[in-house]
Amino acid sequence: MHISDGVLPLSVTIGGYAASAALAAWSAHRTHHEEMPKLAVMTAAFFVASLIHVPFGPTSVHLIIPGLTGALLGSSAFLSISLGLLLQSLLFQFGGLTALGANALMMGLPALLCGWIFQKFKGRTIVHQAVTGGVAGALGTALAAVILAVLLAAGGEDFFGVAKIALVAHVPVFIIEALVSAFTIGFLARVKPELLQPPYLRPQKAAHA
Amino acid sequence: MPEPGFISLPLWQLPVLVLLPVAVLVALGIGMRRFVRRRSAPGEERDWSVPPLADGAGTSPLHRWDVRCKLVTILVYSFMVVSLGRLTSALAAVAVSLLVLVIARASLAKVLMRLLAISGFVGMFFVVMPLTAPVHSGDTVVIFGGLEWLGFNLRGLQLAATIGAKAVAITLLMEPLLSTAPLPVTLHGLSRLGAPEIIGQMVLLSYRYLHVFRHEALRMSSGMQVRGFRKRTDLQTLRAVANFLGMLFVRSFERTERVFDAMRARGYRGRFPEPETTSMAAKDLVLAAVWLVAGAALVACDRICG
Repeated sequence: MHISDGVLPLSVTIGGYAASAALAAWSAHRTHHEEMPKLAVMTAAFFVASLIHVPFGPTSVHLIIPGLTGALLGSSAFLSISLGLLLQSLLFQFGGLTALGANALMMGLPALLCGWIFQKFKGRTIVHQAVTGGVAGALGTALAAVILAVLLAAGGEDFFGVAKIALVAHVPVFIIEALVSAFTIGFLARVKPELLQPPYLRPQKAAHA
Repeated sequence: MPEPGFISLPLWQLPVLVLLPVAVLVALGIGMRRFVRRRSAPGEERDWSVPPLADGAGTSPLHRWDVRCKLVTILVYSFMVVSLGRLTSALAAVAVSLLVLVIARASLAKVLMRLLAISGFVGMFFVVMPLTAPVHSGDTVVIFGGLEWLGFNLRGLQLAATIGAKAVAITLLMEPLLSTAPLPVTLHGLSRLGAPEIIGQMVLLSYRYLHVFRHEALRMSSGMQVRGFRKRTDLQTLRAVANFLGMLFVRSFERTERVFDAMRARGYRGRFPEPETTSMAAKDLVLAAVWLVAGAALVACDRICG
């Protein structure tokens, strides 16, 4: 779910921009400058992945995959997600341009946390990695939903009802995200395990070594 | 202190007053979707996923406006609209946006597509807010046939309408902002305003490879369909989708390396060639000033007037 224009109060939109700009700058600093074009191309891949709809009963949900993005891109994930959200806003109006900062926080912070959790606890076997990926996938979506609810609730008590509904609406998505993330990580662990090595993109420091 | 006012209406009016407008809105949405579908791709399969951002050169005042002025003005104005708090001023902002839309001669189908994209999120506010907004003194609550738990708080409805109007007002400005200049020119304007140049480059690269990977994904999914895969709500579908994603990542990451090698082979040193540079004329600044003063007047009116 992307926050559209006009929903958040002015202070939250500007605060969101400031916080996400700082995080994106940190994320860019952690990415080697030669890797930036590669990161941009990978962002396109994650963007296409997020367009995939999974049927859920009579309706369908589209994947958010903050957990997978974090697991694969590490600390570059925030920059990649901000870029992807900017494009989604420009192309499809998914998420308003004024709410871009808030949306980037909502998707990017869980990705950073899940990436860290995945690298920390992934273990060695394929099953272990898949399970950790599933946990990261569920956690990423859950955290995104919580941040969404908090941002909405910042509008005052009139928004509490909407915040609760938004939180509840994400519950089926947790399950789907967890399973898809687990299976995807399992697939990558079998097919191209080096993608899961930390971090696929070289961090700034390694370039001088 | 004024008590919340209660209006009791008989139960039979519930469908008339609530369900009917909802039905009309849903019908309107479906109608819009049909219209967009017909307009966007006659004859061939429609391409929902990645619409082009800018179509050929236009001659409207917005096409001729300096891109830096345009970016700053529309962004600052959008934040002014966000800060509005009253329904009347939000509706006035929608009127301003409609005027800009007419001046920029934006494509109706694209504008409707953007409105459709926000309709779900904004629609949620219309449904949820009247039911959940806490009742304060001075509010008017409509109760149908004594169903106390189903009280419609009109203040909630007004709040939702304000949010909806603000969202529409800003959304309507996106086509004039983005489709009146080619994307590289817009991004170059952004970097000349002080944004790091790498951001513009990354947006352009992502935008370009979006199309490539989407075609890759379409090829892969038609392969899956030919082999008999149908999407259902079961574990097997999720596993297939996950393998699909994994394959997409493997292929795109391998492609990433080749893309970068090709860029370097062509002499990429961290910069893209610049699109034509334009100079800012006095009339560009005048247009920006007029628009921003109008926005400031709207905000002032919103704060002061009842």
